Amino acid sequence: MSMTPTPPLLSVRDLTVAFRVRGEDAPVVRDLSFDLHEGETLGIVGESGCGKSMTALALMGLVPNPPGRIASGSIRLGDEELVAAAEARLRRVRGARISMVFQEPMTSLNPVFTVGEQIAETARAHLGLSAREARDRAVEMLRLVGIPAPERRVGDYPHQLSGGMRQRVMIAIALVCEPQVLIADEPTTALDVTVQAQIFDLFRELQDRMNTAVILITHDIGVVAEMTDRVMVMYAGRKVEEGPAADFVAAPRHPYARGLVNCVPRLVADPPDVPEPLFEIPGLVPGAEALARPGCAFAPRCPRAMPVCGREFPPVTASPGGRSVACWLDAEGAR
Amino acid sequence: MTVPAPSPPSASAAVPAEAPLLDVRGLEVRFPVRGGVVHAVGGVDFAIPRGQAFGLVGESGSGKTTAALACARLAEAAAGEIRLGGEDVTHISGRELRAMRRRVQIVFQDPYASLNPRERAGAIVRRPLDLMDVGPKSGRQARVEALFALVGLRPEQQALFPHQFSGGQRQRIGIARALASGPELIVCDEPVSALDVAIQAQILNLLARLKRDLGLTYLFISHDLAVVQHLCDEIAVMYLGRIVERAPKRALFARPLHPYTRALIEAAPSADRAVGRAGAPRRRAAAIQGDPPSPLDPPPGCAFAGRCPHAVDRCRTEVPALRDMGGGQAVACLRADGAGGFV
Repeated sequence: MSMTPTPPLLSVRDLTVAFRVRGEDAPVVRDLSFDLHEGETLGIVGESGCGKSMTALALMGLVPNPPGRIASGSIRLGDEELVAAAEARLRRVRGARISMVFQEPMTSLNPVFTVGEQIAETARAHLGLSAREARDRAVEMLRLVGIPAPERRVGDYPHQLSGGMRQRVMIAIALVCEPQVLIADEPTTALDVTVQAQIFDLFRELQDRMNTAVILITHDIGVVAEMTDRVMVMYAGRKVEEGPAADFVAAPRHPYARGLVNCVPRLVADPPDVPEPLFEIPGLVPGAEALARPGCAFAPRCPRAMPVCGREFPPVTASPGGRSVACWLDAEGAR
Repeated sequence: MTVPAPSPPSASAAVPAEAPLLDVRGLEVRFPVRGGVVHAVGGVDFAIPRGQAFGLVGESGSGKTTAALACARLAEAAAGEIRLGGEDVTHISGRELRAMRRRVQIVFQDPYASLNPRERAGAIVRRPLDLMDVGPKSGRQARVEALFALVGLRPEQQALFPHQFSGGQRQRIGIARALASGPELIVCDEPVSALDVAIQAQILNLLARLKRDLGLTYLFISHDLAVVQHLCDEIAVMYLGRIVERAPKRALFARPLHPYTRALIEAAPSADRAVGRAGAPRRRAAAIQGDPPSPLDPPPGCAFAGRCPHAVDRCRTEVPALRDMGGGQAVACLRADGAGGFV
């Protein structure tokens, strides 16, 4: 894929999100830079605690404060800088130009309002529609996300819907204002695989229709391969690898990324009778207190760690085809 | 690294070696609900030979966990028969049931909810030894230590509380606890689905090693086909309380016969398929549409008919029986011809 010549829709530069942990600032997201183009799907992968969800919350202007805050950096959406923006301004952006689908549809929907009211609320707040128009818009959105008999379903409460239906409602709320950027944080983990496949179809369809840029946060390498154009791997708050999804899945470079891709059992047509042991990444992700330490945070778990890895975070090595990796093995040409 | 397992009760010694360790026939489990009854498990049959891992896969609400709980006598069978080592354990109680508990243990899905937060890890693993009076008291501390080593925990970690462990380590404690009484059958109820991917590999490798080294038999519940394919020897696919297909691992993936099995395989995201819009074309649309029907209001006929691309009128009235297709493969579909086609 040749890089689009147009400027990126969303541009993040040197973003650092810090949390106050026992009187110290822990950088849960650190020096993060990336771009997102119109119509593109960017995957963010990593284990829990790697900063994926916090990156999403920072883009939404929803970092819980206190104890967290955006300590430095820039988030530009089109011509607008979001990091310094006033809350009133952010409220106009959030839900309208950037919106988010959360992991758990049951806890993210309000149980005491009908799904129609919850879709209409967003439409009225941002688009200035009348109650009547907003309701019509809610029906239209439910139809768009593939809910049968939307005129009837619009009056249902969340508990009356299946998990897949609820997630469709969440997507309808997120898309009602036709945002330029849609962030989906593990949008299908609570769903069955046959329903997951339908939700992903819906994402693609909507993306084709509206040219929405999507950030898909996931831990599933299969989902990365099937859904994303580009991938960013995060570890301990930093980007450690980035590149086209196909190249990444076929040949991850960073030792952590290699571990992530190789540790999952793959569904094959001809499985062996006795399983080969799966690749293991030893140890655990570091806790918040370890984030401010110098060096590469993966070094204690890394099979190829060198003395330099414990002293200094590696510089980013870029290679042709839009790939980059932050690892001393590449920086020193030690591969 | 061996743990001296208490010798199994004499009842199992009397049966021939080739009898399956667990034999389930016509198992039904029902739950009363307001205004009716949910048939959570609507008549399932399967058998697990000693030393094998049997996988039950299906989506939420398919009855896989309930069926497994019934096998462990933690849910009551409304009909059918459960035999453990040839012995009918469907309705045993009192001393007999307590003796069975030593032979069948469970590893739960959520290692956060299944450990007592106020007990130290060592005490958690020791508890079944005391409750079931396993071995002489004087040897129990040594056995706890051996169990910790067996699952890859350090001896000094016995003194810690569950919140001081990571999710993967907690699952190791849960596995050590399940192994304490020297069971023959372990029911693994989604043992890795609450864990991060990197940790899943550690636990799956541990379970595979324990099966090999201790000769354990697993009834393994999962919604993840790749995990089941990795660990299990034979697999049954459940849909709305029934087994729709059952086969040895290789046969199931080489030649899935039921339309639902095929849909599950198709729908599983795969790292090996084509990538992105810029490279090869993206994967085709979802294989099947709609949601599974509610177990509160099951449709007549085949439960899958409403989502099945091959369904005909007969499928909506007639409940298909599980038919033997040879090679250990059985399918509950009126139209499957046994060669991968539909009549």
